[in-house]
Amino acid sequence: MSLDQAAIAANRFGLGARPGELKTIAGDPRGWLKAQLQPEASPPPPLQALPTTAAAAGEFVKWLVALGLTGRQGDLAKLYQNRDRPGDASGGQMAAAPTDGGGQPLSVEQSYVKYFSPGYADGVEARFLTATTSQRPFFDRLSRFWANHFTISAAKPEIIALAPLFERDVVRPHVCGRFEDMLLASCRHPGMLMYLDNYLSIGPNSPLAHHPEYLPAFLRDRMKGLNENLGRELLELHTLGVRSGYTQADVTTLAKIITGWSIYGPGQTPPNGDVFHYIDFAHEPGPQTLLGKTYPAAGEAQGRSALKDLAHHPATATHLATKLARHFIADDPPPAAVARIAAAYTASGGDLAATAAAIVDSPEAWAAPKVKLKTPDDYLVSTVRALDGPPLKGFQLIALLDRMGQRPFWAPGPDGWPDIQDGWIGADAIWKRLEWASRLSQDRAAADVDPLTIAQSALGPELSPATASAIRAADSPAQGLALFLVSADFQRR
Amino acid sequence: MLDRRQWLLGAGAATGLAGLPRIAFAAAETDRRLVVVMLRGAMDGLSAAPPFGDPDYESARTGLAIARPGAAGGALPLDATFGLNPALERVAARYAAKEVIVFHAIASPYRDRSHFDGQNLLENGSTTPYGLADGWLNRALAGLPGSSVAGRPELGIALAPAMPLMLRGPAPVTSWSPSVLPGPSADFVARASRLYAATDPRLAGALSAAAEANGAAGGMGAPGAGGDAFVTLMSAAAKFLSAPNGPCVAMVDSTGWDTHANQVGPYNVLTRNLMALDQGLDALAVGLGPLWSRTAVLVMSEFGRTVAMNGTAGSDHGTASAAFLLGGAVAGGRVLADWPGLKPANLFAGRDLRPTSDLRSAMKAALRDHLGADPAHIDRVVFPGSGEAKSFDGLFRQA
Repeated sequence: MSLDQAAIAANRFGLGARPGELKTIAGDPRGWLKAQLQPEASPPPPLQALPTTAAAAGEFVKWLVALGLTGRQGDLAKLYQNRDRPGDASGGQMAAAPTDGGGQPLSVEQSYVKYFSPGYADGVEARFLTATTSQRPFFDRLSRFWANHFTISAAKPEIIALAPLFERDVVRPHVCGRFEDMLLASCRHPGMLMYLDNYLSIGPNSPLAHHPEYLPAFLRDRMKGLNENLGRELLELHTLGVRSGYTQADVTTLAKIITGWSIYGPGQTPPNGDVFHYIDFAHEPGPQTLLGKTYPAAGEAQGRSALKDLAHHPATATHLATKLARHFIADDPPPAAVARIAAAYTASGGDLAATAAAIVDSPEAWAAPKVKLKTPDDYLVSTVRALDGPPLKGFQLIALLDRMGQRPFWAPGPDGWPDIQDGWIGADAIWKRLEWASRLSQDRAAADVDPLTIAQSALGPELSPATASAIRAADSPAQGLALFLVSADFQRR
Repeated sequence: MLDRRQWLLGAGAATGLAGLPRIAFAAAETDRRLVVVMLRGAMDGLSAAPPFGDPDYESARTGLAIARPGAAGGALPLDATFGLNPALERVAARYAAKEVIVFHAIASPYRDRSHFDGQNLLENGSTTPYGLADGWLNRALAGLPGSSVAGRPELGIALAPAMPLMLRGPAPVTSWSPSVLPGPSADFVARASRLYAATDPRLAGALSAAAEANGAAGGMGAPGAGGDAFVTLMSAAAKFLSAPNGPCVAMVDSTGWDTHANQVGPYNVLTRNLMALDQGLDALAVGLGPLWSRTAVLVMSEFGRTVAMNGTAGSDHGTASAAFLLGGAVAGGRVLADWPGLKPANLFAGRDLRPTSDLRSAMKAALRDHLGADPAHIDRVVFPGSGEAKSFDGLFRQA
C-alpha cells in the first residue's frame, strides 16, 4: 500500500483523485496506470454524442452558403478581421442574443456566433464531462497531451465545428497505438488540413496550377500554388522538433510531398464518410528528396512514406519524449527520463502505450516535489473530481476557462497551449482561480461539508501541514474548501 | 473588460436583484419577520461590545481594548459598563431608540474551538456537532401554526448560494444570491497570500501582483468585497421579506470574523467587518420600511475570541461573545449580561470570556414570543436536549 504513490498516480499522471479513489489505487499505483494503457473499444458516451467529423466538416460551407457569402471576398474579409474573437464567446451570450431585437439583419460575425456557438458549447461540455467522469484518467491525460501536440484551434473560424472532434477521431484511437498512425490521421483530418491550409495547397507544377479554370471562381485566388504551413509544422511541431537539423528546403519539399491532401468540397459525397480527399491533379509531380532521402513519385503514397519515416526519425523520438517528460514530470524535463522515454519509443517502433509506460517507469516521475502547475482546464477538471461534482455546462466552462486564459479549443497557435508554469501563472489568471474557488466553495460548502476530509481524500499525503492548518483555521467550511482549492498542494502536481 | 470583482458565471448572468424567485400575490401581511445573521469566523465580542466599565478590561485586553467613551475612537456607551464599537454607529442610534438588545458573555453549548464544529452545532440546534442533519430554524418553521404560514410558497430564505444547515429541513425554504457576486473576500485573499508565502513563492508573487492591481491590497487595507456583499444581501433580504406572500424568515451569512491578525489599527479587519454589519443592518431596516416595526434580527457568531491579544495583533478562538437582537419588534435599549468579569481567575479555561448565558435562550425567545412557535415544539424538536437553556422572557414588545 502506498498512498504517496497513489496520490502521484492520481494527480500527476491523472486528472485528480475523486473521493475514495486514492485507496483504490494505493494497492498498485503503477499497475493502475499501466492497466489504462489499452485502446478504448469506443469513445466515451459524451463524445459519441457529438456530430461526425464528416458532418462537421461541411458546416462552415453550409453557413457560408446560407449567408450567400461563398463568392463574396469582401464579406469573407470582414469575417477574418475578427477571426481572433468571433462574437462574445466569453460571455456565453452567443446563442441567446442572435438578433438585435429590432429585426435588423445580423452582421456576419453575429451570424457566425449564432450558428456555431451551440455546437461549440456542446463540444466543450462533452470533453469536460469525459474528463471529470473518467475511470481511466491517465488515458485521458495522454489524449489531452496528444491533442495539444497536434493542435488545431478554433481561433481559425473555419474549423470551429471540427476542433472539438479532433481529439475523439484522430487522437483517442491511437493514444495506445502507433505514433505513425496518429500522425497520418492528423494529416488526413479536415480540421488539420484546413487549420494549416494544406487543403488549398497545390503543387507549382501540378496540372491544376496550369489549369486554374478547373477551379470554381471563388477558389482561384486562394489556390494558386504551394502553401508550406502544414509542411513546416509537421517538421517543427509534430515530428522532428525545431532546430533538429532540417532545412527550409526540407520544409518546401515536405509541403510539395503532401500537395493534393485535401478534403471533399460542398456538394460532394465523401466515400465511407471520410472527408479526406487526395486530389492527384493538385499534387506536385515527380520524386522529392527530404532529409537526404528520395521519395519516388507515388501520389498519395509518397506522403505516407515520408510521414512514416518522420515518425520513426530519432529526432522525433527525442522531441516527443522531451514533451512527454515536460508534461508529466517537470517544466525542465530531467534528461535521464527523456532518454528513457525516447529509447522506449524507438525500441517499440513508436508504440505510444510502450512510450507512456516508460514515463510510469521513470523514477523522476515519482519524485516528491510537485513542480507542475495545472492548466486551467485540468484545474477545473480536478476541482470537479475532488468535490464529486457539480457538472459544469458548456457556456459556463467557456466563460470560466476564457477568464483563466484557456478558452477551450482555442489555443493561440499550432504549437498549442503552453506546458510550463510561466504560461499560466499570470497574476490575473491566478486571481481568476481564486474567484472560482471562492464561488464554487460557497456553492458547495454548507455546514456539513468538511473541507479537510475533502482535501485529504483528493491529496492524501500530498496535503502539506501548511495547507491543512490553513484549512483548519478557516472561518467557515466554505473558506476552508476554497483555501484547499487554491493551495499550491492542489494547483500543482 | 469585466471588472475583476464581478463574477460572471454562465449565460445571461443578471446583476442586482433581477431573478427573484416567483412570488404569488396574496392578502396583506400582518405577521412578523425574523432575520438571523450568522457571523462566521467567531466575532470578538469584547471589541464589538466593549465592557469598558469592567476594571480589568484594559489590562486584560492590552493592545486590543477599545478606548473609553469620549476618547478618540472610544466606545459608544450603552450603560455604565458596556458600550458598542464606534464602527457600530447606526446600531448605537437604534439602541438609543430602544430597538436593540445586546447580549454578552453568551455562547452556544459548544465548548471546543473548531469553527466548523461550532457553526455546525449552532446551526443544527442540538448539543453536538453533526448531532442533527437539519437546522433548528427550519424545524421551527415546520412547526409554526398553519395560520402564520398559509399562502406562503416558502417560509424561509437563505441569502446564500447554497442552503445553510440552519435552514435545511422539512419546511419549504429557498435561497438566493446575486448572479454577479463580488470577488473573493479580502480575508480569504489574505489567507491565501499567507499560505502561498509559506509554500509557493511563484503563486505568492502572482497573487500579490493581482491583489495590488485589484486594490484589494491582500485584505490589509481597502474596504473588502465581503462588506459590500453583506450590504447587498441585507438589501435583498428586505425585498424578499416585504414581498406579498414572501418568506417570513431570512438567514444571512457574514464571513471574515476570524481576526487572528490585524484586529487593531487603521483599516483593521474587525472595524471593516463591523462597519459592513452596521451598514447591512441599516440597509435591512430601511428596506423593510413599515415592516421593520414587526421585525427582529438576531446576530450571532459560533463563539468568541481569547481575552488577551495574541502575537499578531489579533485574538484566537475563544468561547463566549456578544450577540445582538434588534428590530422594531424588540423591547430594546438594554444590555442583558450576567457579567463574569475579566479577572484571570474568572476566565473560561484561563483564557476566554466565560459563558453565562445560552444563545438558545435568545433563539427560543425569538421563536416563541416573536414568531409564535409552540414552546413544546421548540423544546422537543427545535432544540432537543436544551432543558438547561430556558427561553428569555420579555425581549419583544407586545404586538
